[in-house]
Amino acid sequence: MNLHAVIAARPSAAPAKAAVKTAFAALVATTFLLAAGAARAAGDKLPRLSNGKPDFSGIWQTTSAADFDLEPHAGRKDAPPSAGVVEGNAIPYLPAALEQKKKNFEARTTADPRLKCYTLGTPRGIYYPEPFQIFQRERDLTLVFQFGHSVRTIHTNGTLHPEVTDNEFWLGDSRAKWQGDTLVVDVTDFVEDTWLDRAGNFHSTALHVVEKWKLLDANTIDYTATLEDPKVFSKPWTINVQLHRHREKNFQLIEDYCFTQDYDQYYPYPAKGTTQR
Amino acid sequence: MNTKLLSILAGAAVSISAVASAQQVASAPSQAPPAAAPQGAANPGGPIRWEKTYAAIESGPWKGKRLADGQPDVEGHWSNTIANHNNWTDPQAGEPGRKPPKTARSERAPSRVTDPADGQVPFQPWAREVQQDFQHNFDNPTKPEYIEPLARCAPAGVPKSFIWHGYEIRQYPGYVLILFNSGTRIIHLDGKPHLPENIKLWNADSRGHWEGNTLVVDVTNNNSKARFGRTGEFASDKVHITERYIFDNDGKRYNYVATFDDPTVYTRTWTATIPAKRRTVEDEQDGWHWEGEVANRPGKPPLAEFYERVCVENNNAFGNVAVAPTTSVR
Repeated sequence: MNLHAVIAARPSAAPAKAAVKTAFAALVATTFLLAAGAARAAGDKLPRLSNGKPDFSGIWQTTSAADFDLEPHAGRKDAPPSAGVVEGNAIPYLPAALEQKKKNFEARTTADPRLKCYTLGTPRGIYYPEPFQIFQRERDLTLVFQFGHSVRTIHTNGTLHPEVTDNEFWLGDSRAKWQGDTLVVDVTDFVEDTWLDRAGNFHSTALHVVEKWKLLDANTIDYTATLEDPKVFSKPWTINVQLHRHREKNFQLIEDYCFTQDYDQYYPYPAKGTTQR
Repeated sequence: MNTKLLSILAGAAVSISAVASAQQVASAPSQAPPAAAPQGAANPGGPIRWEKTYAAIESGPWKGKRLADGQPDVEGHWSNTIANHNNWTDPQAGEPGRKPPKTARSERAPSRVTDPADGQVPFQPWAREVQQDFQHNFDNPTKPEYIEPLARCAPAGVPKSFIWHGYEIRQYPGYVLILFNSGTRIIHLDGKPHLPENIKLWNADSRGHWEGNTLVVDVTNNNSKARFGRTGEFASDKVHITERYIFDNDGKRYNYVATFDDPTVYTRTWTATIPAKRRTVEDEQDGWHWEGEVANRPGKPPLAEFYERVCVENNNAFGNVAVAPTTSVR
């Protein structure tokens, strides 16, 4: 149904005033219908797998400053300003953990594990300011991060966390369920070695993350993560960022095994004269 | 199925317990979570099984299962069948400079070089010297470049990744992903062009398409820092590799057949063949070919899955082995 069709349907023989009134009513009704239709159309335009579930396949990246510091902060030499991405602004650290966070912050230019190109962890990999690609099948989502080219699998096949619960994964163990069009991911079994951002926010092996992934439209993901860690935080807390689809022509991930950069120099590709050095 | 034996020897799976191979397993970087990878266990999950022969697989139509997008369905876990990366041209002889093999050459699997017929990489004389230099210094490296980059967790690259541990293939509309023990390849089937020429990568840049039962992949942009094996064979960063993954219609085997074109290093184009076999939850975990896990889903049939693989984050032991291979890990 479109606007022209509605107006054309107005009885042309009606008196002028009534005609205007009718037209106005029709317009209001049409506007309402259009709005509803637009909402449906947007919903219908969401990419979907053949099983009807939303299809997150694509290359995504945040435009937020989350990785610089999750909490609100003014601009400083090593971070652009940001109002933060934490619900309620402050991360609810336990007192001893807050002291550790302050130490981390002071040492951030050398102690951040990202500087060694170590796997970023969950959720940090998601809001790190480099692209990552989602490959999706019915049974799982595979996330390949450009940074370090690390790989995370989110299982969507009804499987449970492993029975052994101290494997200690860098990205955690991810098991997901669909709640309508929202993918809810339960992530457990972490190492304690990753940081949550460049400002030294951290966690222990007791970290438990619940992520919610939702397509706002075909090119935008609303991502929230709730972090719980009774050894470090006094209560669970939540972050929210949006992820945007890379739509540049021929855009693609470029592998970046950045941990090789310290020894790349030792391996010039073999060429004439190599043995003479 | 049109097959022919590449070797006169009837092939049965064999277990080898060569010192080099045992050490190889013991010194593998801990890709599994630390708790699951006991240090020093020579053979954590049972013997490594190598075959002395393999059958050719003809390129032709695909009669097996297909995915919704029409690709032949070759998803799952795979591993090579003849030997690891110790020796490129005499795969079951172990690493040169260690124990000489006790068997005659004809009793071991053929060279991975299937053209030319002599089984040797047709190196230009200078390049042969470079290869020999690496081979002779591998066991007692006196310069950083004699330590294979894989020992430092660099991706094994093309083609060595196929003779390293088992690996997984996942497929999507427009892509084939290969998740190796060290590194991951994204093979584009989406028609996007190769990356700009000056971008050189450990796993190169891969553009593929299906021809019947064969995945044909054009591989460029190789940084060529990874050698093909511990024997030091190599290409330059100008190498152009054409890979053909020829899948048997029974879905259990495929042969990796790759031609290497690099006039700066070789006297002619040559071909390598690496046979591979599918691994499933039916197979015993052996710490090499099949290292997957059985998913936790009570009451349902066993389903294979793989835990995350990291390397640089926990690589101390392996790095030490590579720097001083004659001393104990401990």
